Amino acid sequence: MEAQGLNQYQVNKTKGMAEEGSHPVVVGLSKHPSGIVPTLQNIVSTVNLDCKLDLKAIALKARNSEYNPKRFAAVIMRIREPKTTALIFASGKMVCTGAKSEEQSRLAARKYARVIQKLGFPAKFKDFKIQNIVGSCDVKFPIRLEALVVSHCAFSSYEPEIFPGLIYRMKQPKIVLLIFVSGKIVLTGAKARTETYEAFENIYPVLTGFRKNQHWYEV
Amino acid sequence: MATFELYRRSTIGMCLTETLDEMVQSGTLSPDLAIQVLTQFDKSMTEALETQVKSKVTIKGHLHTYRFCDNVWTFILQDALFKNEDSQENVGRVKIVACDSKLLTQ
Repeated sequence: MEAQGLNQYQVNKTKGMAEEGSHPVVVGLSKHPSGIVPTLQNIVSTVNLDCKLDLKAIALKARNSEYNPKRFAAVIMRIREPKTTALIFASGKMVCTGAKSEEQSRLAARKYARVIQKLGFPAKFKDFKIQNIVGSCDVKFPIRLEALVVSHCAFSSYEPEIFPGLIYRMKQPKIVLLIFVSGKIVLTGAKARTETYEAFENIYPVLTGFRKNQHWYEV
Repeated sequence: MATFELYRRSTIGMCLTETLDEMVQSGTLSPDLAIQVLTQFDKSMTEALETQVKSKVTIKGHLHTYRFCDNVWTFILQDALFKNEDSQENVGRVKIVACDSKLLTQ
């Protein structure tokens, strides 16, 4: 079901990727020269329900909700399909997190809006926007972060005593990458998945240049 | 000290309430006194559960619904397994209502 949603997205939203969409196993080398496609792990979206909400009434009537105004001024609500969490504010603004694709995030947000409607609020669905996309992948070789931070010092910070990953702030596209010794990569800050893919294709040749050579005596 | 009226819905609480009702209706007890008895019942239940019950129960099941509002957690479990030291029992559907006793002392 999720794969279907994904295909739909690729067919509808990204031209030239329709072929790849219908055969998800095949990696389009024109778009992904590295042969690796980052997996989307989390999508954060916002929408305006465009009506004032009585959060206590929502928390009392809706299932799977938490409301503790002393701690946080929003109702926290979850649904199981798509598995997501929503933060619902009294102003009618809503944040939806946890979806694995843009379409799943939109579908989840619509489901939350429907729940609010069923509770008797005149909820609309205004200005839906993807705010952040987090992706991850594995280049499957170890990386010399100490050398990488020195040669890309304008973009990177590496403080192993604070955080074990190298933080790489790419300027174009404006994406933050967390690069780990293990070869695992996290990409965040994208508003569109194409930015995630572009950032990975930009960094991949750099990573191969800083591949850690494993010596025979280390194995 | 304030108390929760949570235990009035238990079997023992319902029986007490019924008895007090009968007594008030027959005129052997004043309504004020009946309410005083119920308030004492709330206190005694809380105290008894705190100080006299040593057994522990674990409840494990599929979480169907949860809610947290007004400092009260509500859980609805499906196919729950209740376990204590020497026995266990399956329950198809169970509702758990939990209040924070710390809030009473504040």
